[in-house]
Amino acid sequence: MNRRVLITGVGAISGLGLDAASFWDGLKAGRSAIEPLDPPIPDVKISIGATVPEFDPGDYFSQDELTILDRFSQLAVIAAQQAVNDAGLIRGEKMLTDAAAIIGSGCGGKHTDEATYVQLYKKQKSRAHPLTIPKGMPSAAASMVSYHLGIKGPAFALASACASGSHAIIQGMTMIQSGMIDMALVGASDAPFTYGLLKSWDALRVASNDTCRPFSKDRSGMVLGEGAGMLLLESEHHALNRGAKVYAELAGCGMTSDAGHITRPDVEGITNAIINALHHAELNSEQIDYINAHGTATPTNDVVETEAIKRVFGKHAYELAISSTKSMHGHALGASSALELVATTLAMHHELIPPTANFTVADEACDLDYVPNMARKQRIDAAISNSFAFGGLNAVIALKRYSE
Amino acid sequence: MLLDKVADVIVKTVHCDASDITPETELAALGVDSLKAITILFELEEVFDIEIPNEVIPSIVTVNDILERLEEADLAAAS
Repeated sequence: MNRRVLITGVGAISGLGLDAASFWDGLKAGRSAIEPLDPPIPDVKISIGATVPEFDPGDYFSQDELTILDRFSQLAVIAAQQAVNDAGLIRGEKMLTDAAAIIGSGCGGKHTDEATYVQLYKKQKSRAHPLTIPKGMPSAAASMVSYHLGIKGPAFALASACASGSHAIIQGMTMIQSGMIDMALVGASDAPFTYGLLKSWDALRVASNDTCRPFSKDRSGMVLGEGAGMLLLESEHHALNRGAKVYAELAGCGMTSDAGHITRPDVEGITNAIINALHHAELNSEQIDYINAHGTATPTNDVVETEAIKRVFGKHAYELAISSTKSMHGHALGASSALELVATTLAMHHELIPPTANFTVADEACDLDYVPNMARKQRIDAAISNSFAFGGLNAVIALKRYSE
Repeated sequence: MLLDKVADVIVKTVHCDASDITPETELAALGVDSLKAITILFELEEVFDIEIPNEVIPSIVTVNDILERLEEADLAAAS
């Protein structure tokens, strides 16, 4: 039996705002959340980013709860709660209790780890804070989502750098398809604005201090963001039985790995991931209306991704719409891939394609339709979301407009 | 006085009212679980610049048990 998987709830907290509604409002308006870091971080070259604005954790959690919540866990729980509310579920209901929670992260609890390292290495203290391990561990967000939402099914973290969210979503999808579970809360969270991590990104020399301009000739690199994207996945019969609102069908996935360069994207790996996703979703390439691109705005990624799209789609590559929403929510590492699937889901639902913001000059090596700067009213029947992580870990997810 | 300093440390972790803390107060009654207990021990070690060995943890039930351990540590340091 091939069980279909539906998306019945979404949640997002990002540079564009505290909830999925403000996330979508920002995408719709083509508003880039990238701003100068305030306050600037001394001795760090990175000076801009898409941080969550006007965020007070105390609005969401008690003082007691916050002692064990790293910032990436806070963001995960907030977005997860939104997805659960959006799906019309309540903590304690059996269907939610039995669900899975699979939460990706590119960098985990860096705020917690670095705070302890400052005490030990810089201030020469002899003791680490006793909550360093449970608060900072990469699976802390998965545990906190499980705890706060009362989820008692399979729960774990998943890491594949910038594709962590996509791999987490795919894991939930395949667990539902297998019949193991009926419901999964999936997504990813990242909070990378820490001194040590920013210094490390500085060293890679891939970050822009202009802004994020995917596919634009004058693009100068990626811009970090933070946030969490979460989706509530359900088997079709489960969703229909309870009369759930359906956003889209999670129709298929393609995953490949490059077995090659640790940071340079590989056109063959990317091409095969897209082909596999189309095959798994039983879609012809001509059926794809929209691609939410990985689109980091590094000189290499955007050319290689464009080339892969041309290899897969041929002439249709010039007819479909492509955008990189990283231009608006920034590159929130693992969380980006989850935020991007939320964006793709909402685009299908609202029949509106979010643009590539900050686009200025066309590049002859990137000559497809990137929906520059202005959202486009267009019905989407099928779409893919691309995520290509450092380390050559590629994940592509295919969505279909749902019909029974 | 020592009780006030200890109460300040406990309040930092359990967010209760310092005036509720007496020597007879049981830590469990303040909602101190195993994780909060080791957090309080960490803070005590920092504030008083002492080492509290793992072996004494089971013997700490009330606030007074903490006061006694601190006094012992103080005597040990002085000797």
